[in-house]
Amino acid sequence: MMPPRFLVTHARQAGTVAVFVVLCLILSLLTPHFLTTSNLLNVAQQTVINAVIAVGLTYVILSAGIDLSVGSVLALAGVVLALALQAGWPVPLAIGACVLVGAACGTVNGLLVAFGRLPPFIATLGLMSVARGGALLVTDGRPVSGFDASFRWLATGEVLGIPVPVWCMLGVYAIAHFVLKRTKFGRYVVAIGGNEEASLLSGVPVAACKVGIYALGGGLAAAASVLLTARLNSAQPIAGLSYELDAIAATVIGGTSLMGGQGSVFGTLVGALIMGVLRNGLNLLGVSSYVQQVVIGAVIIAAVLLDSVFKGSKR
Amino acid sequence: MRFTHVLLLAAAVTGLVAGCGRQSGSSSSATPGKAPGPVIALVPKTLNNPFFLDMQRGAEEAAKAAGVTLVVQAAERETDVERQMQIIENLIQRKVAALIIAPSGSREIVPVVLKANQAGIPVLIVDTRLDAAAMQASDGKTVTFIGSDNYEGGKIAGKFAVERLGGQGRVAVLEGIAGHETGDARVRGFREALKGAPGITLVASQPANWERDQGYTVFQNILQANPTVTALFAANDLMALGAVEAIAAAGKTGKVTVIGFDAQDEARAAVKAGKMAATIAQNPALMGRTAVEKALAHLKGETVPAEIGVAIELVK
Repeated sequence: MMPPRFLVTHARQAGTVAVFVVLCLILSLLTPHFLTTSNLLNVAQQTVINAVIAVGLTYVILSAGIDLSVGSVLALAGVVLALALQAGWPVPLAIGACVLVGAACGTVNGLLVAFGRLPPFIATLGLMSVARGGALLVTDGRPVSGFDASFRWLATGEVLGIPVPVWCMLGVYAIAHFVLKRTKFGRYVVAIGGNEEASLLSGVPVAACKVGIYALGGGLAAAASVLLTARLNSAQPIAGLSYELDAIAATVIGGTSLMGGQGSVFGTLVGALIMGVLRNGLNLLGVSSYVQQVVIGAVIIAAVLLDSVFKGSKR
Repeated sequence: MRFTHVLLLAAAVTGLVAGCGRQSGSSSSATPGKAPGPVIALVPKTLNNPFFLDMQRGAEEAAKAAGVTLVVQAAERETDVERQMQIIENLIQRKVAALIIAPSGSREIVPVVLKANQAGIPVLIVDTRLDAAAMQASDGKTVTFIGSDNYEGGKIAGKFAVERLGGQGRVAVLEGIAGHETGDARVRGFREALKGAPGITLVASQPANWERDQGYTVFQNILQANPTVTALFAANDLMALGAVEAIAAAGKTGKVTVIGFDAQDEARAAVKAGKMAATIAQNPALMGRTAVEKALAHLKGETVPAEIGVAIELVK
């Protein structure tokens, strides 16, 4: 029973990894600037924000949901963080408040979906606007900038030669992978996405889990806002526009099915890296900005096509 | 079965990337046959605003004349500072000889300017000033700033409005993105000019984020709240052109004096057609051309002034 499923998920992951490796290979042949330590660290840093948001979306999408509010939640949590820091709060406390705001937004999403019986698309679309408006309201539309070096260390620091944000990303992924694979909650997420009715009948606390899933999504968007704010040394109420689409793309390229129940955290990381490497490579090659959008869109379509073709052949 | 699909996708990606690589090679302005000169990079805020397309054209002309390669890369959205930052980081990795940047965020782009400083790549700023305090705090360096005095431009627009209205009227303002130096300076200048005319009241001042569609809806809303508005100053032409449509939809064409900023072709045409009263010409093509020329001068070791003004004129 176990081996075939094990093989199936890993084959899909191997596919994503193969695409990633081939992409890197091609880029290193096309430009000498791609395969250098400094550029690879550069790409890793550029991938962090999308990757951290995408891991939350992976949970949401695995449960057969969707979250369109993450970009706006990132902006709201970011300006809360910035205002707290400027009010003189200690860094850990300000980050705590920021993540709490994100998780609270996610909880509202979860409650609307689980108890209000709203389709996730609609609930999170609503919150997308509410959170964006909130971010504009508290800042009066202006960016909040300028922080202490101790906070900026989150973007500028290095540990063992690897930038701090990259460590943060790896940490988030390790935990997310562990939770999904080794905890009851993780198994419930996949079960709900696979078959909600059956999960409910077999005693899975579906509603509570859904609230938890969206809260996690919001909390991770807030975590991404911490890294983004440190990177830009500024929190903008208009930050994160359409970041939800990038995160959904990374998740889907990584092999998570939009129908729920199938996918992996590791795949999403590779998906985010594919997007990061693609954008980086196209910049290095000096490809026109217009063509870049076409290429990125084509890769997303190709990845999903690959997924559906594979599912067709399995049937 | 599965891996054939993977290979197919890989092949597709290869084709795309390789194809694009080739295309960009052919579109570069380096003279074929000769050894490629230094690569100069221009990073405008976006490439879907005619203002920056004019800037690109000017820069390309200068690059062609000097026989150097110009790379132009921009984010999809004018507001996407993080993406602009990524593009600049990637160009630093590519080791371009000089970076010309029109910052999407006056403060936000400072960290990446420092990265360019560290990599020894000279940075020239066009159109929008970097935040002086943020630059000073981090000890960042730029070669020069090339742009127009937006405050002065706003003032010219304000004086024109006072004249046209005969010192009496109700005025509305469409602002750019809040906290954005260019737009703030234009609006500040405009308001300053109104101070001399006590008969003129400012009834509304709302951001429409530089965009045409928002210019339309925001001004439509302003018209709802203040049907007697007699003049509008929009901090760029796109918002002004959006507002012109809203005015037409409300059947008030000719009753509102619309003043834009940038003097894009479409705005010039609207001024000729009487739909707009005036616009402020900034000459982005000259900014682009000057930026490339000054970048090359700096690379040759010549001294470049820390600030280069590009003249502003009223088009009416």
